[in-house]
Amino acid sequence: MEPILNIENLTKVYGNVPNQTRALNGITFQVMPGEFLGIMGSSGSGKSTLLNCIATVIQPSSGSIVMGGKDLASLNGKSLANYRGKNIGYLFQNFELLDNLTGSENILLPTSLHNVSEKESRLRLKQLAEYLEITDVLNKFPMQMSGGQRQRVATARALILHPKMILADEPTGALDSKNAKNVMEKLSGLNRDDQATILMVTHDSNAASFCKRILFIQDGIIFHELRRGDESQREFYERILKVMAQLGGGSYNVL
Amino acid sequence: MFFNLIVRNSKRSRKENGLFFSSLVISIVAFYIILSISNQDIMRFLQEMESDAVDKLLLLIPIFYIVTLCILFFLIYFACKYQLQRRKHEFGVYLMLGMRRGKLFSMLMAEDFISSIFALVIGLPIAIILSEMISLITAKLVGMGIIGHRFTLSLSAVLFTILGFLVIKLFAFLILSGNITRQEIGSLMAPISNNAQRQKPTFIYVFSAIFGIAMLVAAYLLAIQGIAWQKSSMMLLTLSLGILGTILLFYGMRALISLLIAVGKSNVPLRVFNFRQIQENVVQQSTSLAISSMLILAALCCFGAGIGIANTSSKLNAHILDYTFAVSTNIVLDKEPEPELVFPSVQSLLKENGLEDQFAKLFQIREGRINTTEKTDEVFVLDSVIDEISRLPQSKDRDVLLNNLGYAGFPHVICLSDYNNLLELAGEPTLELASDEAAIYRDSSSTNEVRNAMLNEILAKHPKAELDGKTIFLTGEVQSIPLVTDSSITLDIALIVPDEQFFYYTQGNYNVYVNGILDQNITNEMGLMGAYSTINEVLDMIDLDALGLEYESYLQSMGRQLFYMVAASYITSYLAIIFLVVSNTIIGVQFLMNQQRTGRRYQTLVRLGATYHALCGSARKQITWFMGLPVIVAAISSLFGVKSLFAGILSSEVKNAQGEMLVIAAIIILILCVVECIYMTVIKRSSDRYLLTLMQPQREE
Repeated sequence: MEPILNIENLTKVYGNVPNQTRALNGITFQVMPGEFLGIMGSSGSGKSTLLNCIATVIQPSSGSIVMGGKDLASLNGKSLANYRGKNIGYLFQNFELLDNLTGSENILLPTSLHNVSEKESRLRLKQLAEYLEITDVLNKFPMQMSGGQRQRVATARALILHPKMILADEPTGALDSKNAKNVMEKLSGLNRDDQATILMVTHDSNAASFCKRILFIQDGIIFHELRRGDESQREFYERILKVMAQLGGGSYNVL
Repeated sequence: MFFNLIVRNSKRSRKENGLFFSSLVISIVAFYIILSISNQDIMRFLQEMESDAVDKLLLLIPIFYIVTLCILFFLIYFACKYQLQRRKHEFGVYLMLGMRRGKLFSMLMAEDFISSIFALVIGLPIAIILSEMISLITAKLVGMGIIGHRFTLSLSAVLFTILGFLVIKLFAFLILSGNITRQEIGSLMAPISNNAQRQKPTFIYVFSAIFGIAMLVAAYLLAIQGIAWQKSSMMLLTLSLGILGTILLFYGMRALISLLIAVGKSNVPLRVFNFRQIQENVVQQSTSLAISSMLILAALCCFGAGIGIANTSSKLNAHILDYTFAVSTNIVLDKEPEPELVFPSVQSLLKENGLEDQFAKLFQIREGRINTTEKTDEVFVLDSVIDEISRLPQSKDRDVLLNNLGYAGFPHVICLSDYNNLLELAGEPTLELASDEAAIYRDSSSTNEVRNAMLNEILAKHPKAELDGKTIFLTGEVQSIPLVTDSSITLDIALIVPDEQFFYYTQGNYNVYVNGILDQNITNEMGLMGAYSTINEVLDMIDLDALGLEYESYLQSMGRQLFYMVAASYITSYLAIIFLVVSNTIIGVQFLMNQQRTGRRYQTLVRLGATYHALCGSARKQITWFMGLPVIVAAISSLFGVKSLFAGILSSEVKNAQGEMLVIAAIIILILCVVECIYMTVIKRSSDRYLLTLMQPQREE
């Protein structure tokens, strides 16, 4: 099977020569279709930089990102905007819903940006809203929704144009544990039932335990990888915690 | 260090809010020009001739000055408020770092002071140059080469411009920065909430919109039917209805925009987003939008009134005669010269003083009272004419005409051959009268076209009338060519009769006015004004009073017209420009500030795959709508406002000139379109620039 995303030796350097920060220091990995991949790391490890590079929000210093056979560096202008809109669906930590638009208007925003007929999308909107249990907040403004509802509305917005891949940046970061669990269940449900490919950055071990594979990043390089076998989510969670303990402030680092 | 910070901050403010800064410069220019109006060539010239009127105008200037100061205060207050709000977080950080509140306050004041100085340094030279240019151009336009341009720098105008500008800026800033520095650090650091306003139930907005429109319609009706001008209480009612109606309409406009969002289903990119953005802007600033709309309305009314006034006064008198010499009004009765001797004495006077060659033509106008009877009433009986008029359908003009004719019992008579001279000069066919015929003369200031048309209709039937017991027939059309060059005589109703009859009825006791036409070569060479001035100079040297003569030239009449034109156009265009600048700047600054406050939304759109092009298009559409709404409301109101203004303040002549009204309306609309286009382009450009900065991703960890 062809990988959907192929990242080769990616580096990103911030700043000028005397005080440079190497946020990414040669990262290589692949994402297969239908995969639910988590990326974990402590603050400043470079995980957000990685996600932003894939989302084409920032340009890598070197290396290549190939999505569906296309090198992202070759995109510009309209094709870049199309890539952002149609190939990836982005989930933000703080939802980034437009607070002067209702739920359904927010969800349909990408269709309006990419000249997709609203009628066609209405059906998709209905399915997504039912699955994500947000039908009754579609006509409310974000201010009138709970945090979980907002993130689910944002999820619907990310999915409305059938993206090849969902990029989620700490999707549970601004939610309480109950809402976080609900959102994660919906995401893994989408992965299981719809074969949605998800790449999620998080430092929440709980959320990460929903993934099938986790890459741990430290100081701009991939430092460890975990695959979830047949074990239960609970057991996977324990394994994640162990790695995290080593990563941040654990004996491995100190000694 | 502290000073550098101030300089840098103030530079940044000017850059970020260039629109506001340029409005300040424009208002400085306007200030100086209105304050230095007495130094304009044309005003100095008029002051010699129409000193009373000019003095009255100059007395009004301080009032305009103060009114403008108040309006500008609002502009500065609004714009500064948004500017400071945006920097709230920065101020919080300063305080966190241990800056004392007093120091923050003085820093803000100093920043503002530097900006003000910049505005003055840029604005004042522009103002002085522009004022000189206006002075030169107006002088050139009216052919005032003789007066000689004098470069004038009105120090008092400079002083008052600086003073007024600094005082309102200081005042606005004191209030605002006082507010800012009093706030707690926590609330300064907190992000500005976007949805501060709570939504009320929809029916309130619908109700408000409907009520607002109803009030506006009521105000329009009051204005257009002239009820508003009857009593000051009615005017107050009309104005309050209009103001309240506009405010309510803008308050309820969110309901209308919701309707637009719900109705349209077209596939314009970002349509819903655009309308939601507009709606939010309108919701948050409904009152200031309403005020801006009313300022635009005021500007339109000013333009309309100015053009209307200038237009009427410019064609009050057709220019035929250049000079009129007459027997002095303050001559002792028994020293009055014989009528036949007046013309020769004027001729010899001009010859003696070497002015003979300047005149192409010299002729007399003779007019006098009926002297064949002792009676002073019912000498002229025109019952048949009055009967016919009273049979016409009732109208205001008919009643005025009837009233005028009621006073025609003891008319002046004018000598036919003299009047034919005038007709020839005016390029019109001369009158032929039989010995029992007479034509009616009415001064143009005491009648109008409608009344003349009524009278002409009856005169066409050669009605019979009686003059001192003799039957005469009235014929021809109503004549109204001015008999003299300016104002030595105005005849409400007079009869033009053949020369023989004239001498019979006046019994040789009549008044003589000697009219002179200047030689074409002289006027071509020196310009009209120049010719008048040189001849006046010579005449003023002679002791005319001793000769029992006096003179008037077209210069006086011209001066009067000029004065009205200049005064009307100066004052109204000044006010209109101030109103337009203030209202557009308020709207523009509000839009840009709001755009920056909601900049994150645009960033989200970028993440969702919006191109720069799409973002600019969306913002441009929002600007068109946001600025268009108050302009459209103002334009609709102005249709009624300007019409009512014309009805209320202008002379009856303009009221009838429907065609000209349309031309004036077209000019006003054109001016408004140009100004709005300029503003929209400026705002769209700066919105594009801002959006470009959003396209560069920012690292946020």
